[in-house]
Amino acid sequence: MFKEFFLKELIPGLKSPMVWIFFGLFGLLAGAAVASDSVQIGGTIGNIHKNSPDVITTFVLVLSIFGLLIATAFFNNAALRDVNNGFSEIMFSLPIKKSGYFWGRFLGALILSTIPFLGIFLGVIIGSKLAPIFDWVDAERFGGYEVSYFLNNYLLFIIPNMFIGGSIIFFLAHKWKSTIVSFVGALVVIVFYIVSGNLLSDIESQDLAALVDVFGIRTNSVATQYWTPVEKNTLAPAFKGLILYNRLIWVGIALVISAISYHLFSFTVKKSKSKKKEEDAVEKSQRLVLERVRTWKGSFEKGLGWKQFVSFYRINTDSILKNNVFKILFLFSIILLFVELLQGYEYYGLQSYPLTYKISSSISNSTSIFIIIITVFFSGELVWRDRINNIHEVINATPHNSFSALAAKALSLITASSLLYFFFIIMGIIAQLMQGFTKIELDVYLLDFALSNLPNYIAFSALFIFVQTVMTNRYIGYFLSILILFVWDILLGVIDASSNMLDFAGAPFLQYSDMNGFGPGLTGSLWFNIYWILFGFILLYSAGIFWPRSVVSGFKERIKVARGALDKTTFVSFIGLIGVWILVAGFVFYNTQVLNPYLSGDEREELSAEYEKQLKKYDGIPQPKVTDLKINIDIYPNERDVAVNAKLKLVNKTDVAIDSLHFNMDESWETTITIANSKLVYSDDYLDYQIYQLEKALQPGESIEIELENKYITNGFPNGTGNTSIINNGTFLNSFGVLPGMGYNNGIELSDKYTRKKYDLKPKKRMPELEDSCGENCMVNYLSAGAADWVTMETVISTSSDQIAIAPGSLVKEWTEGDRSYFNYKVDEPSQLFIMFMSARYEVAREKYNGIDIEIYYDKKHDYNIDKMVDATRRSIAYYEKNFGKYYHKQARIIEFPRYATFAQAFPGTMPYSEAYGFIIDLEDETENNVIDAVIAHEMAHQWWAHQEVSANMQGGTMLTESFSEYSSLMVMKNDLNDDMRMTDFLKYDYQRYLRGRSGESQNELPLYKVENQQYIHYGKGSVVLYSLQDYIGEDKVNLALKSFLEEFRYKEPPYPTSNDFLRHLDPHVPDSMKYLVDDLFKKITLYDYRMKEATMTEENNMYAVTMTFEARKMYADTMGIETFAQLHEWIDVGVFADEDREDLIAYKRIYVDKENMEYTMYVDRKPLKAAIDPRRVVMERIIKDNVLTIKEE
Amino acid sequence: MAKLVITDLSKTYPNGVKALDNISLEISNGMFGLLGPNGAGKSSLMRTIATLQEADSGTIMLNDIDVEKEPRKLRQVLGYLPQEFGVYPNITAYGLLDHVAVLKGITNVSERKEMITYLLNKVNLYDKRNKKVKSFSGGMKQRVGIAQALIGSPQLIIVDEPTAGLDPGERNRFHNLLADVGEEVVVILSTHIVDDVRELCNNMAIMNNGSLVYKGSPITVIDELKGQVWRKAIEREELQEYMSNHRIISNKMVAGKPQIHVLSETNPGEGFVSVEPNLEDVFFNKIHFSETTNV
Repeated sequence: MFKEFFLKELIPGLKSPMVWIFFGLFGLLAGAAVASDSVQIGGTIGNIHKNSPDVITTFVLVLSIFGLLIATAFFNNAALRDVNNGFSEIMFSLPIKKSGYFWGRFLGALILSTIPFLGIFLGVIIGSKLAPIFDWVDAERFGGYEVSYFLNNYLLFIIPNMFIGGSIIFFLAHKWKSTIVSFVGALVVIVFYIVSGNLLSDIESQDLAALVDVFGIRTNSVATQYWTPVEKNTLAPAFKGLILYNRLIWVGIALVISAISYHLFSFTVKKSKSKKKEEDAVEKSQRLVLERVRTWKGSFEKGLGWKQFVSFYRINTDSILKNNVFKILFLFSIILLFVELLQGYEYYGLQSYPLTYKISSSISNSTSIFIIIITVFFSGELVWRDRINNIHEVINATPHNSFSALAAKALSLITASSLLYFFFIIMGIIAQLMQGFTKIELDVYLLDFALSNLPNYIAFSALFIFVQTVMTNRYIGYFLSILILFVWDILLGVIDASSNMLDFAGAPFLQYSDMNGFGPGLTGSLWFNIYWILFGFILLYSAGIFWPRSVVSGFKERIKVARGALDKTTFVSFIGLIGVWILVAGFVFYNTQVLNPYLSGDEREELSAEYEKQLKKYDGIPQPKVTDLKINIDIYPNERDVAVNAKLKLVNKTDVAIDSLHFNMDESWETTITIANSKLVYSDDYLDYQIYQLEKALQPGESIEIELENKYITNGFPNGTGNTSIINNGTFLNSFGVLPGMGYNNGIELSDKYTRKKYDLKPKKRMPELEDSCGENCMVNYLSAGAADWVTMETVISTSSDQIAIAPGSLVKEWTEGDRSYFNYKVDEPSQLFIMFMSARYEVAREKYNGIDIEIYYDKKHDYNIDKMVDATRRSIAYYEKNFGKYYHKQARIIEFPRYATFAQAFPGTMPYSEAYGFIIDLEDETENNVIDAVIAHEMAHQWWAHQEVSANMQGGTMLTESFSEYSSLMVMKNDLNDDMRMTDFLKYDYQRYLRGRSGESQNELPLYKVENQQYIHYGKGSVVLYSLQDYIGEDKVNLALKSFLEEFRYKEPPYPTSNDFLRHLDPHVPDSMKYLVDDLFKKITLYDYRMKEATMTEENNMYAVTMTFEARKMYADTMGIETFAQLHEWIDVGVFADEDREDLIAYKRIYVDKENMEYTMYVDRKPLKAAIDPRRVVMERIIKDNVLTIKEE
Repeated sequence: MAKLVITDLSKTYPNGVKALDNISLEISNGMFGLLGPNGAGKSSLMRTIATLQEADSGTIMLNDIDVEKEPRKLRQVLGYLPQEFGVYPNITAYGLLDHVAVLKGITNVSERKEMITYLLNKVNLYDKRNKKVKSFSGGMKQRVGIAQALIGSPQLIIVDEPTAGLDPGERNRFHNLLADVGEEVVVILSTHIVDDVRELCNNMAIMNNGSLVYKGSPITVIDELKGQVWRKAIEREELQEYMSNHRIISNKMVAGKPQIHVLSETNPGEGFVSVEPNLEDVFFNKIHFSETTNV
């Protein structure tokens, strides 16, 4: 019996097109993602094979969410087929066994729903075979296969996910016998998945998040988060750890659900709701009416159309708002938004203030998917409503205009979406008020809606209504709508088209900034919106023409009828509409393609390749260096124009004569270079490269003055957001934009080795190799890329009179001329040619400390943390002056800039700091991590590490700047907190940054002293390594090493220092017993694995003896992440905590370990609760959960 | 005085089925019955008159309105109750009529209210005006349907199979309502139920396979068959034999035995009784032997 039902379910299913359509779709997606770089699911980088087991697992997991919807269709169908066909009464009266019927159908559907996933496997295999043949992707980027890559995925994810989803759907389908309820059930599962993930997004709760993930998606990412590329290329998901537990939990839940639904299932057919007692059963007998029926005559004059439109609109809107699907989606979106709002905006465990723009973008992020679903679903509902309800003939036979009926449908859809959005705004405002935040900006909410959401609603409503109107079946209409949503963008990517004029409802991205409002993209966004709204109208109009007012049979007749619908006035206004659209399109085209041309991704690649091919010959040719810069810079914030005049003094510091000067221009600037007695001998506008030949060669030691004019003029609006550094309020330019580069710039070269291969270029080294005793190759530092060493600089900067303009240096003079303000700045100490120019409407907070002007320039909306910033600056200067030496500038400025970039950066004495990154963080709770402190201390530290000494441009360079600044900042914090465990709490983000970073390394991981500007190494690992070092040899020793290193290189002409120079200074401060550590930390990639195996305790006279048995292992990894075990000769900490939360560390002891298994007893005078190995986390370990055990009393 | 003139109307579906085959018809005031078996083309004809379908050729004129060229004008004076009259979920009887009334040009709010109240009373649904139409019984729904068809001042009312599925009481009430309306305007009633026509119409047409097989008054057509219809009760196994030897108009079961009506100018044989022809005989006669009948 089971077999029959099973096969009855399976075989027709296998013969139905649906399974194979999805099989093909999944296969295509996976195949395309494997065989090209333009289609991405999850994405792969660098060393991870395009077809690695990790990639296959990612595909399977990502598509599980879609797969659930497919499974819903199969399970729902299996459960309801007999009921829907009206066959259930016959079927259930037959002598069949419940178990066979139920489980047969269930398992049939389960197998069916896993078939589309097999498409992924096939797609990956075919993709990986075809791509190398057709040269789409390099053969090197593919690895081999093992059965486990597929089988484990099938057994661990595909089958369980479909089983879990299926059991829920099967239950719902049997219980409610409604397809809608089943799909809603599927949605609930997805919403649960999203919500549970959002609620548990912190590092602390990641294990829990991994366990509650119903699809196993986060489970897999947590389980593999520290995997190296090699592991990702070779390991299939395993039947152990988090993944296994998660699967057991969920399959268990699914089994329970299935058992319950089997128990509840019964063959007795539930009486479908018996028709309500016919209400007119008792009715007065009809009196015989002799009078003629009265009639009222319609009035068919002007104005009727409008009233009909209103009536249509009311009845349509009402039908959406009362629809259960709408209510359910509404509820879900509220839940999602609620969770998102509840969770707040987090950095390093801190919350930012709930600013309106943040809430507004939360609304868009968490609810837009629902609004899209609503628009797709109800476009179908509204278009087909009359026909579904069989009232279309009545309505069609009334004297109304089809266009007004359609327009009303579109407007109803837009209204429903907008109403939702307004409700979300109200929720957002309530959330703000509940957090005690009262700076509610209603205008930001509404403008954000009007600029970024409403135009989309209009264009998409029109599009979907059009699709549904011309399609002959509602479900085909849905399918096509969804296809357009997902495939159109991919298609544009494939043909390398990035114009917003092609991307449906596309417009420049608008990012609201408290400083700069909706920013530079506003004008473009308005025009693109008009363009797409008009296009929406055209679609609606076309839909009106094809509107099935009468029954048509066949395509021919449809065209005939459509032609009939185009009467003269309609035709004229339709043409008029198209005309207006074409005018707007022309204007947009002129602005975005003619006035502001841009290169597509492929074109940019070609340019880089061409640049290298043509100009590589100039790489490294001798060029003079800048020694003095006098610059005049006029900023016009309203026009968004900048004019620069600069006089540079160049000196030939080489020992050969230089006969020509090479310049790299910026395509968006108009540059004129004036060099006396010289001739322009090469100028290429495409490559933006110029060569001037000097009549008389510049001899070694000689100098030359050059003058340059550089203009940035904003014309019209571009396709994208546009230049976010020259803006109305918050202009932020640095010397690289303002001054042309000198000599060949190898930063322009393509870096990815496969892209290079495409253009026949050999692989490129990321950086020059670290050299020991450095001569010639250390003459260039990495900050100014060879253009200069130490430079004297003076700036005259002007801006509109309501703004303050800032450049590095002391403010020498300030004056106004007409409506413009002028500022003259002079850098006090020759510095690196790495400067910036800013202008905005600032408030300024000032404080004098030790002869230094501490100044915070901030937007008046952001006065929350100013005092704390001043304080942090003061404390950093104090620590650094005491430990590293004098501060050479007369001012320390922190300057806010708009959130288009999220970073802080140090220029000489001047530190721009993004508005999104500190100014708006809520620091009321002083027990939390203070990120502002950390960031300010880091940037201040750069005044020593980058601006007093700067490293040679080679491997290990950024260790001397970024890692040192991280260390310095940690020391300021450490001295401030004086609490090891809170430092550990802060450092966990650095551990994570490093361990996750190396997992995503695209080329090679290198040891710290050879870091190649890899952020996860110089920030993440650098922090940990130097913190660890000072913990082992002492903070004072490390500081002494740093100080003596700095003294050797401070403001010194090249050669510049390398990481080896620092290690040389460090060496004398390291005791012999710790020499191994310096090697492990700096020169190797070292990982530890500790495990506490047992901890017992005995008490005697209030003294507690804790005996710990533990395991310790040390591994060295190579640059690909392959690990080998290393001999132990370590100093390792063991300690005991008094509390569960591990905040109260009673004592710890550093012991020598040279065996894998050790036992150690320590004595403490307070009762401990937990025993831990490496209790303060000072070494690099991937899994730290097993380091702690609760102590057993004996 | 309204007059609907249909001239040479033809329609062939892409699959080759001739839905309308050169139909010409003149209908003036009063109830006009359009009789035919399912699939005869009645609905196609009705829809074409109601501007809901286009013919391949031929014209339809209501007074001076050319239906194909000026569908909007026709819709202004049209009341239409389609064969399957459905309603939106969630809408009340009042709400539905209100919507249709606006669409039919009754824009004055108070006038509209007065009219809907009157119509709801007329169809005896005033008490239920705020109930959802979806919950109504078939008969009640059909009354809502006739109420909406009466909105405005229709010159032409088309009701397609209005009594299908109604119980006898409901059917009676429905007929009364129609009779009320159908004096000054053209009412076309399409049906496959012979009694509907007999009771209500003074003019009728019979359609089969897309063409008209009869038009005229029900009385005349019955007269045509006077004395030619014979009835006999037979055994089931004899049916085959009778069918090959006689022109059987109809056979139906009476008390468990087939009873046949046979068309014959003379007494067809033993056991046959002459009966008064009724419209049903005419109907079956016309559709079974239409090829021999001249129209």
